[in-house]
Amino acid sequence: MKQLETDVVVVAAGLSGLAAAVAAAEAGARVIALEKAPITGGAANMGMGPAAAGSPLQKASMIEVTPGELFRRHMFYTHYQVDARLVRDYYFKSGDTIAWLQDMGVEFNSVRPAFRARERTRAYSDGEYTWHVVQPEDGSEPGPRAATTMTKRMTERAQDLGVEFMFECPGTGLIKDEDGAICGVTAKDKDGEEYQISCKSAIVATGGFGHNAKLIKEKLDFEWGTDLFSFAIPGMDGDGINMCHEVGGGHTPVTMELMYQIPDNMNHFYVEGAFRQPCYWCNRLGERFMPEDEIFNTTFVGNAINHLPGKVAYAIFDSRMLKHWKKDGPDIVSHVHPHDLYDGFEEQWNRDLEAGYPAICQADTLEELAEKAGIDVEGLLANVDEYNEMCDNGWDDIFEKEREFMKPLEKGPFYCCKQYCGAYGTLGGVLINHKMEVMTDDYEVIPGLYCVGTDACTIYGDSYNYCIPGNTMGFCLNSGRIAGENAAAALFEDAGDEEWS
Amino acid sequence: MKLTINGAEVEAREGQNVLEAALDAGIYIPHLCKHPDLEAVGGCRLCMVEIEGQDEPVCACKTSVAEGMVVNTTGEQAERVRKLAMELILATHPADCTGCPKYGKCELQSMYQYMGVSPARWRTKSRPVATDESNPLITHMFTRCIRCGRCVRACRELRGAGVLDYQRTEDGIRIGTDGSVSLQEAGCRFCGACIEVCPTGSIVDTLNMFDENKSYADNVVPCRSGCPAHVDIPRYLRHIRNGEYTRAAAVVREKVPFPESLGDICVHSCQDACKRNELNGTPVSVCRLKRAAAVRDTGDWKANVRHEPLSGKRVAVVGAGPAGLTAALYCAEKGHKVVVFEANEKVGGQMRYGIPAYRLPDATVDAEVATILEIAQGDDAEPRIELRCGERIAEPKALLDQGFDAVLVAVGTHDGTVLPMPGHDFEGVLRNTDFLKAARTGDAPDLTGKRVVVLGGGNVAYDCARTAVRLGAASVDVACLEAQDAMTSTPEERAEAAEEGVVLHDAYAFTSINETEDGSGKVGSMTIHKIERFYFDENHRAVTELLDGGEKTIDADCVIFAVGQKPEGTAQMGLELTHGPYIVADAEGKTSVEGIWSAGDCVTGTKSVIAAIAAGRTCASAIDRALGGDGDIDEELTEHDAPEQWVGHAPEGFYDDAVQPEFVDAQMRKDNFDTFECPYTDHEAACEASRCLQCDLRLTISTPRLWNEY
Repeated sequence: MKQLETDVVVVAAGLSGLAAAVAAAEAGARVIALEKAPITGGAANMGMGPAAAGSPLQKASMIEVTPGELFRRHMFYTHYQVDARLVRDYYFKSGDTIAWLQDMGVEFNSVRPAFRARERTRAYSDGEYTWHVVQPEDGSEPGPRAATTMTKRMTERAQDLGVEFMFECPGTGLIKDEDGAICGVTAKDKDGEEYQISCKSAIVATGGFGHNAKLIKEKLDFEWGTDLFSFAIPGMDGDGINMCHEVGGGHTPVTMELMYQIPDNMNHFYVEGAFRQPCYWCNRLGERFMPEDEIFNTTFVGNAINHLPGKVAYAIFDSRMLKHWKKDGPDIVSHVHPHDLYDGFEEQWNRDLEAGYPAICQADTLEELAEKAGIDVEGLLANVDEYNEMCDNGWDDIFEKEREFMKPLEKGPFYCCKQYCGAYGTLGGVLINHKMEVMTDDYEVIPGLYCVGTDACTIYGDSYNYCIPGNTMGFCLNSGRIAGENAAAALFEDAGDEEWS
Repeated sequence: MKLTINGAEVEAREGQNVLEAALDAGIYIPHLCKHPDLEAVGGCRLCMVEIEGQDEPVCACKTSVAEGMVVNTTGEQAERVRKLAMELILATHPADCTGCPKYGKCELQSMYQYMGVSPARWRTKSRPVATDESNPLITHMFTRCIRCGRCVRACRELRGAGVLDYQRTEDGIRIGTDGSVSLQEAGCRFCGACIEVCPTGSIVDTLNMFDENKSYADNVVPCRSGCPAHVDIPRYLRHIRNGEYTRAAAVVREKVPFPESLGDICVHSCQDACKRNELNGTPVSVCRLKRAAAVRDTGDWKANVRHEPLSGKRVAVVGAGPAGLTAALYCAEKGHKVVVFEANEKVGGQMRYGIPAYRLPDATVDAEVATILEIAQGDDAEPRIELRCGERIAEPKALLDQGFDAVLVAVGTHDGTVLPMPGHDFEGVLRNTDFLKAARTGDAPDLTGKRVVVLGGGNVAYDCARTAVRLGAASVDVACLEAQDAMTSTPEERAEAAEEGVVLHDAYAFTSINETEDGSGKVGSMTIHKIERFYFDENHRAVTELLDGGEKTIDADCVIFAVGQKPEGTAQMGLELTHGPYIVADAEGKTSVEGIWSAGDCVTGTKSVIAAIAAGRTCASAIDRALGGDGDIDEELTEHDAPEQWVGHAPEGFYDDAVQPEFVDAQMRKDNFDTFECPYTDHEAACEASRCLQCDLRLTISTPRLWNEY
């Protein structure tokens, strides 16, 4: 067991941990950042950028999104089921955090919405211009993973400030002194060497338990690989949540940012992308379950699938729709899948069919398709008849789907792909206040302990707010930054006390 | 020599390339296809640099350093080529890292974090390849492959196996075996070098094979971590393969002082953990190989034994079994004088009184104990370990008052359990512990022509049954609660016993022991009842459902209980106990009483010799620390040779089942207590040792440093 000593220990160097480390170090604290992986950035390395309101970038782009406005929108969306002070402090910090990142050398390509709703539904379903998409280091157009350049800059900034990173050395526990305050963190590196790091405060930022199928089953009742195909970032096993609970940290409900997904999606990327269109989506009885023009809202679709029998949906299109997308491009453009994905679709599709990829099937008739897919045959035929008639009439009597997308299922072969619940990771677990201090179940602050990022993020209530894009990264950044500032400030308050006593 | 990189003067060695010189000087240049242990090929073109006097940027990994060379790693031209190269790599790599098991440990991920990601300029051509899980131990996920060729070079140049190569397919160049055969058909040694050098998640250890609570090395070398004493198994198997038996024995002895005894009777959890279990074959016969080394040990290693100056401290060990003797040896090596108190006439504990002589003869125990005393004494005039047999210590605390500085209680479990069932007190009912001990001391009852029933399903039950066979029993039946697949005895033990005529009745409840006639008080038969279902209810209580009409009565003159054993006399020791007579000890063996430690079966319940030895080591280390030492009991009894990296193609027979040693025929062995398994011959030992996959080799491969570590 090796003994180390510092002011602040940051447990995990993902986005929230990096923000905490930089903020604490900027305020003069000595910081050790523990990280399970050999690289920094954690889940943020798969993202594109954070949300913010009132940033310099928004102002320069004539985008009028104020923190107060977003706060109201957020609380309307969550019905005040979440901590309003926490939400308030996050949004009111967020604009300045963009400036803070810019000062570190992070460049932003643009502020974007995740989508724009069709005009008719815009009033209640539109995407806000909050998403600060990071400009990649090499000057290219941002795509998935663009945010790695931000995590790189933050890592460099932390290193410049003297933050000591300990890679492949996850935190394993927290130590309390006799007054109940946190006074140390234990860690263990990949060779099994153990460390005890005494400190004034600890900031826990381990990113939830999206990789822990057992905990997911226990807390969320999903069977990973059967009815859930969420991102499982290796290492996100709930370490920080367990650590906080072990020293008396309070509990919160845990949720996932649901979306939808197909099994083994990386090996079936074109298939995944090709079906994310406003075609015909139904449950296993053949019935449609939502207006398909909302298929871009992954939160809504994920939630909807979660409540379908068997937690599975079926996306179906016909040869005419495929021809249209190949010629005109997709109806709904995704920022994850390539724009020209239909050029590569058939090659992948045929290979997957041949290999027996179980999520898909193809048939010349709808009857045969239903049988292959496991949809009720009568149900599908009757519902498609009804749907095709509505298409002819140019009006969706059931959901009032955008009439532009009312294309009948007529011309074989027909294509079907099962869609399951997916998710980014888990949210929440540890009870915190708006200073990011961990509290017990009785709302008593545990001195010296902060929890940030997705380990503590309960601000969405039951559903991720897809209309305010960049929100998870935004909360991670700002909660981390606030905790880092508070941890450093507490350090100097204490020092002052000593001087005067 | 000196050169200038980015304006800074840098020292470099003759023959280095510019990339190595820059990295050594702490100047990071992106690179992927170059691995520190592999030759440079200049394939990925990420390490482009500009060199003064040259028009075009060059690959740093392919450019030798020269005196006075002026290098710019961030020149515009170099950056342009580098960026283009990265774009081309990312154009065929999945755009989405989610779901990748290498996420967070991926060199490519680190590389694009450093350089930025720009897939957009090129028409992305994801090239999905179905995940190949058909090979044991290694999974191929070539959708993620960037064709850097590190695996090919590691397999060919580092290992000499030549299994992986670039293959031309309809869908472009891929990594694979010639003719797309399985790894085994291609002659793979499953050394894992390809996994170790893969920068992405393309070649990985079979998913979920690793226990995340263990260190990486422990996962990679599961035999070593699976052994309670962490004997360095791959290292000593290499010595055996080379015919270096004494050096092999020395490696074993670095962790355990009973190599030959263990070679006879170890429960070998290392073999359960052996990765060869995943291949078509059986695990490497580690236990038998240990015996092969131990019986040929010449003792050359003795000169290297740790022998610290006398500390003036005295340690008392209560119980001379494997835990006690192990602790005694290491305490003595650390300079403490040790007195070992043993209640029995001779030392050895269960090794002598619990395990039958045909498995572990007295001579082996005697010789290994003598070696312990010899090496503990070293060149001292006086012995460091004093054995005092026939002395039972009732109160270990009293030893502290007598001037001992520390006491270790390692009294084992010598009290056999008798179930309180009808007839348990009839004449002819015996306890496992009494029966086996009597057999070892020559006091066993004559069982000639007697019918014997043994109750229990563990190895001790089989020890009793096979001892009864050797004592002349006319018939021996074993009955146990467990169904055969849940029995704790090893399948080999059951098979050998069956050869000797032992009949098994598995999944039977014990109903009653019956008298020959009413009031005789003598065993006449044993009634057992077939179990239909056995489970634990919601309150974790065992529930037994019996089969209607499944009752059976076996004629018997003698019934032996072999249903467990527990410590004797611990209740009077003044130590905190748990679950009845077991001593409470922490991870380091400390008991509730300051100055008293405890180890072995009396703490853990009946386990194994190797577990007792491991516990003895832990206690010796803890006691040494408590007595002012540093607690370091590790030894290097033979040099650590750098293992040969070049393993070559799998030789003929590499995938075969384990080599079987010669056995004495059942008819020849069943009337005596001689050992019946022959040690491996030289040839057999070399063949069997060659089956080792050498999982530890990949731990010697360097891990490239990522940009954030510069």
